[in-house]
Amino acid sequence: MAIAILIAALAGATLALFFQPRWWFPDAISAHAKDYDAQLLFTLWVVGSIFVLAQGLLVWVIFRYRDRGQAPSVNCGSTKLELLWTSVTAVVFLALAFAGQGIWAGVHLKNSDPSALRVEVMAKQFAWSYRYSGADGAFGRVDIRQIDDAGGNPFGIDSKDPKGADDLTAPILRVPAGRPVELLLKSRDVIHNFFVRELRLKQDVVPGMTIPLHFTADKPGAYEVPCSELCGLGHHQMRSALVVMAPDAFEDWLLEARQKVVLP
Amino acid sequence: MRIFSTDHKVIGKQYIGLALFSVLFGMVLSLIMRFHLVHPDTKVKLFGLLWPDGAPGGQMTPELYLSLMTMHGTIMVFFVLTTAPQSGFGNYFLPLQIGAHDMAFPVLNMLSFWTTALSLLTLLAALIVEGGAPLSGWTAYPPLSGLGKITGPGQGLGQDLWILSIALFCVASLMAAINFIVTVIELRAPDMGYFDMPLTCWGWFVTALISLFAFAVLLAGGILLMLDRNAGTSFFIPGGLIVNDQIQTRSGGSPVLFQHLFWFFGHPEVYIAILPGMGLISTILSVFSGKKVFGYKAMAIALLAIGGLGFVVWGHHMFISGMSPYSSIAFSVLTLAVGVPSAVKTFNWLATLWGGRLRFTAAMHFALGFVSLFITGGITGLILGQPGLDIYFHDTYFVVAHFHLIMGVAAIFAIFAGLHYWFPKMYGRFLHEGLGKLHFYLTFVGVYAVFVPLHFAGFVGNPRRFPDFKEYEFLKSVMPLHIGVTHAAYFLAAAQLIFLFNYFWSQRRGAVAPTNPWGATTREWRDD
Amino acid sequence: MTNVARTGQALLIAASSMFFAAFTSAMVVRRGLSGDWITPLLPTWVWATLLLGPLASWLIQRGHVRPAMAAGAALVSSQLALLAGLRLFVIGEAFFGVLIAAHAAHAVAGVAAIGRFGARASLFWHFVGALWIYLVFLFEVWA
Repeated sequence: MAIAILIAALAGATLALFFQPRWWFPDAISAHAKDYDAQLLFTLWVVGSIFVLAQGLLVWVIFRYRDRGQAPSVNCGSTKLELLWTSVTAVVFLALAFAGQGIWAGVHLKNSDPSALRVEVMAKQFAWSYRYSGADGAFGRVDIRQIDDAGGNPFGIDSKDPKGADDLTAPILRVPAGRPVELLLKSRDVIHNFFVRELRLKQDVVPGMTIPLHFTADKPGAYEVPCSELCGLGHHQMRSALVVMAPDAFEDWLLEARQKVVLP
Repeated sequence: MRIFSTDHKVIGKQYIGLALFSVLFGMVLSLIMRFHLVHPDTKVKLFGLLWPDGAPGGQMTPELYLSLMTMHGTIMVFFVLTTAPQSGFGNYFLPLQIGAHDMAFPVLNMLSFWTTALSLLTLLAALIVEGGAPLSGWTAYPPLSGLGKITGPGQGLGQDLWILSIALFCVASLMAAINFIVTVIELRAPDMGYFDMPLTCWGWFVTALISLFAFAVLLAGGILLMLDRNAGTSFFIPGGLIVNDQIQTRSGGSPVLFQHLFWFFGHPEVYIAILPGMGLISTILSVFSGKKVFGYKAMAIALLAIGGLGFVVWGHHMFISGMSPYSSIAFSVLTLAVGVPSAVKTFNWLATLWGGRLRFTAAMHFALGFVSLFITGGITGLILGQPGLDIYFHDTYFVVAHFHLIMGVAAIFAIFAGLHYWFPKMYGRFLHEGLGKLHFYLTFVGVYAVFVPLHFAGFVGNPRRFPDFKEYEFLKSVMPLHIGVTHAAYFLAAAQLIFLFNYFWSQRRGAVAPTNPWGATTREWRDD
Repeated sequence: MTNVARTGQALLIAASSMFFAAFTSAMVVRRGLSGDWITPLLPTWVWATLLLGPLASWLIQRGHVRPAMAAGAALVSSQLALLAGLRLFVIGEAFFGVLIAAHAAHAVAGVAAIGRFGARASLFWHFVGALWIYLVFLFEVWA
């Protein structure tokens, strides 16, 4: 009896926590993020219903069949019941699986917009760097031997490649609102992970691979970016930021920043 | 008792003893971790004494936190969850339940235990060598784990010892798996067909089958990682790396390849941790309801289905690893499919209770608690199994909450249930029922209080494997949550003292038990 | 051979097959991934070593334990000779090295098993011999 009450109380408390607003997602700042939230909410309702049903049944059987001297029933199987609950479960679970693939396809199976702003992202122990092409729209070659963090060249842009002379290296990621962006994620040492909560996007950054990640951010603001794959003793301090700017402000910034590169 | 005994009952107790030591060690590590998360700047004299390099002046460094975290995960997953349920209870009770005189290969059995013990010693040695224990987590992904000490403290000798320990554990587990499977196939009593075996035996049988195939792959992966570290190979090390300003010369390897090898083992491993418990819970619910298990055959088949399907879902640990997004979709569908037999088992447990006459012994309390926790922990798998949703939750505390509820709590509850249930057989006395129930109530509240709130840290986007949360504005809001969780963890740990006292006191002073105290029908309770 | 011995060896064979399957699939994947694969060239006499496993199997079936062990030992020696010529920093040679070394370890265990248990351990030895044939074909034909 006491155990039934306790299970009910704990299940109830768990459920109640899902209605508190304090520890929840941050604002969604893109169409994908909003789709994400919709799918999550749908899943939570399904999962929550199953949770209530299952815990409720457990509480009920404990209460109803506690020892009051009754003779236990002798039924110990029903093929019909097995087939029924197996198929219902299979249908619900698989429906959930398929319902969720749309979000995933939107992120990874769709090609990025050809007019997207392309930015290279470099992860290292324990900092992030970003590279924008210059006015020529082309990224210069990189040479690992020319990497010079102190001198502002974490990418190792090859000084012998004219295409790279105007490339802009930045410590935080600035993008214009409303415009497609394609990130090209690279690591130069161990596995890291690029995570923007408000975009509902996360991607491992793997050395030896260049991994694309595209998004279109709608809402200007500054959003913290934590590294989200254990990368060593500085993992928890490997902080970056995504700054979404009004398109005009972005253009102004980009122009000025590019000029500084070409005319130091 | 002779320490190199080949008697299955002695070996079973040895494994349980090893697991008990390991769980206490792992729990202490977790308390230190929880303390540091909420008091990251507090100097603790004891830390400075234990770890002069890792905690100079008593101030715990991030690398020490991460190495303790690595050891916590490794010890708990391998030396607690992969020992007690299978080799602990299984060695003791499988032969008794199928009417065999011992396991098929008693000498091999003894060797399995001592290899496991050697493996544990090797792991613990990592804590005291130069550089300390590795900081790469129990998952040890290269290149962080594959390049040697330039990636961080503990990544030199500490990581080598870790890999060696795991390799020894693989060998021990393979020996045990062969023993268990041959015992079930060849040593059943003549009147016991496969579908006459208790579900506990099915649990041990399927678990052994899983172990046989999974540990072979982990061993292969571990060998390749060790070679990358020490022999100049590049299985997992790509080119173009510059670490600590030193250009690395090796190239061509794939970090994701390691993850495939690791998780091909790693996912079946979680079923190794839970399947024996599931078999046991079926038995306990049945005995204390006064009814046969509902749907025995379906339950046995469900165990086989979980074991089989469990081998094709490993990619759900790698949805955003950089592998093909199409693979992620395939793994997702299979992952939600493997949830079906688990759900079926839950329904059958409820149906077993239905119409029964429930006796609330301590063992029954833990079994009922298991069902509740299995629901709570398992259900978040439906969220994490969707890559489109995992794209936010991966590597956050949401995942930490999920696996702790299922492995760190439900599986542990099954162990507690088993100890209460089988104590009379092992020691001829009862564990004290009152203390057992008190332990249950405090622990049940404690685990919900520790692990349910962590889901919400995950909602906030709180990354895992962070030694502290000072760097981020957005993490300020979760600090009160973490403080609450830490206090709950202290409470939960303290509650375990009740169990410890009960376990050791009852061996000498517990109430003497009759031959079949619970009125069970399986063979271990017979007089012969 | 008792049922227990047969079933036990069958399971050991299953685990070992899985172990080699893991290395094989890692090799296949790794080869396809980057352009740095150079197929190692093993000396032509490696084909002759194919016979040593079956020879030992045939001998043990006829109860000639010592000669079988000698054939097995010859196989292991030839494998050590092959290993000596491999350079681990070349990925193809590293994989071949791992596979040959793993097989040699199994062959040593097999020889010891035949020495201790005679024909009762023959099932495992047949596997060891067959596995070497598979590996040589993997090296010479697939690679």
